[in-house]
Amino acid sequence: MTTMQQPASVTGAVDSERITGYARAINEALAEELRRDERVFLMGQDIGRLGGVFGLTKGLLEEFGTERVRDTAINETFIVGGAAGAALGGMVPVVELQFADFLFTAADEIFHKLAKWRYMHGGQFTLPVVVRLPSGVVGGAGAEHSQSLETIAMHVPGLKVAVPATPADAKGLLKSAVRDPDPVLFFEHKGLYRVKGPVPESPDFVVPFGSARVARPGQDLTIVATGLMVGRAVEAAERLAAEGIDVEVIDPRTLVPLDIESIVASVEKTHRLMVVHEAARTAGFGAEIAAQVQERAFFALDAPVWRVGGSDIPLPQDPTLEQAAIPSADDIVTAAHALAAV
Amino acid sequence: MEIYRKVVTVRFAELRIRDHVETEGFGGFWHPGIGQEGLQVGAIAAMRPEDYLYYAHRGLGYAYAKGMDMVPLFGDLLGRAVGSTRGKGGGTVHFASAEHGVLGQGGTLGSNFVLGAGTALASQLRGDGRVTVVFFGDGASGRGTWHEAALQASVWKLPVVWVCENNGWALSARFEDQSPTPHVADRASAYGMPGVIVDGQDALAVRDATADAIERARRGEGPTLIEAKTLRIRGHYEGDRQPYREDQVKDDEIPNDPVHRLGALIPDEQRRTIDGDARRYVEEAFAAALAAPRPDTSVIYEDVWA
Repeated sequence: MTTMQQPASVTGAVDSERITGYARAINEALAEELRRDERVFLMGQDIGRLGGVFGLTKGLLEEFGTERVRDTAINETFIVGGAAGAALGGMVPVVELQFADFLFTAADEIFHKLAKWRYMHGGQFTLPVVVRLPSGVVGGAGAEHSQSLETIAMHVPGLKVAVPATPADAKGLLKSAVRDPDPVLFFEHKGLYRVKGPVPESPDFVVPFGSARVARPGQDLTIVATGLMVGRAVEAAERLAAEGIDVEVIDPRTLVPLDIESIVASVEKTHRLMVVHEAARTAGFGAEIAAQVQERAFFALDAPVWRVGGSDIPLPQDPTLEQAAIPSADDIVTAAHALAAV
Repeated sequence: MEIYRKVVTVRFAELRIRDHVETEGFGGFWHPGIGQEGLQVGAIAAMRPEDYLYYAHRGLGYAYAKGMDMVPLFGDLLGRAVGSTRGKGGGTVHFASAEHGVLGQGGTLGSNFVLGAGTALASQLRGDGRVTVVFFGDGASGRGTWHEAALQASVWKLPVVWVCENNGWALSARFEDQSPTPHVADRASAYGMPGVIVDGQDALAVRDATADAIERARRGEGPTLIEAKTLRIRGHYEGDRQPYREDQVKDDEIPNDPVHRLGALIPDEQRRTIDGDARRYVEEAFAAALAAPRPDTSVIYEDVWA
């Protein structure tokens, strides 16, 4: 992870950094935003007394109290719908669904209320709501606790979608999300919670939405990846470099808005594109990126755009079987060999 | 007097819309609230201007009673640029006015429960002293969102009042076929809140019951469930021939008609003046909305993002 470039800061200054975990970075972002804006409050299952099942909200109840760090019942429709209503009443709710998969248990509230309330009512209201969604495989959580559902969020207009891959992006994107006037679905990867990396120390550090990051520069082939797949793509790229294939890895960081310009610019340089995602390959965001790139830069392409994605199956619970269902660094190396040879 | 004026104004509006749908057709579904105006206006009469309202889908009485003008309401129904939603939420269910605390409605019935609880949570956190009133029908009382919102609102003693308009029918389903208890209010005790049953055709009784519940909420004692017993006069939507129903009533034979019950309390001459003014206001507002232009198609790309 330390091979990754330092994320951009809106301040433009070179920030001092320290090594911080991805989970800790999210915790710091929440604490800083709670301190900055009294309208911000947190709500979710087990986020207060326990500090979250993954420990993301540890210590926040102690600092901010039960008013602003609220344990709810098991009621996802209230957690999300209540957040929408609280936003209409002037608050900035940051809520957690215990697993991203539970967006289906609050689907009406996410896809209808959060995404459409402003539009349906003629633009009279804003809904500055952040829904934190622990996402992806984590080792044996099973078919209903391991999915990568960001493409579904991307398909319903009205929702912004963040998919941080590094501690710095987790912190900077979450702070941007809290300050955004629109609803944001924040897909934080459970498998990255323990990953460490440099994070700027300034409390003003934010990562703007719609700004892709070059995780590894290269000349021969572009790989677009998000979340857990960014690290695997970079690992694959290092191995490919030893064979003389120079891969550029791009992490869009947000899918809505999507920085397609940066992806196209990379393809115009490398002439080959592969999209890697953990989500099921069929109709994943890789398909959308492939379509947009061929629309915008068809004649820059020397080969078809390839997709490497999760298998089109429910995720099995056994951790070994689970890993077999999502792309590995080996899978990416194999695919890159084939694509480079086209 | 003011309650009567609003109730009769809403009645004229209901009749005007019905006539329009019958003669001109209509680009959406209209869910008439005729006969239920008394409880809608009565309950809202107990609210302060700054209190928040989530209304139900039966009619436009709620929004008008909360202070909105008829022109934007008719404008929404007729798909005109003067509508409060500028064509985005036209039809029946999305009238809104941030200025009047009319926070809108979801198209999936029962979704207002959780939003209403959330808005009440905002008031509790901000200490702004506002109360949120959420209307719903006996049909929507079957939604799981009711349970999730009612439970959390009671646990946190949120300043919210639930007003159920039990008109006996959820589209084609009879309430008694879909409820294990004779009243929606019977369910209140499960959530540790008062359940109050009131005659929904008696606007003043509904006002008084709602005022008590609102004061309780404002004191920080939590939610109340009010069940206003009423009846559905028209079909679920205008044009619904109701083949499933044998007890159909005509518009001019509304049992316990709230208009007549309130009107009987007012001297005849005064009532004639109020009626004449209300009829004229509705006709002028409807004509103004009808004459207004349709929204330019460019508006479809606006209001997605803040």
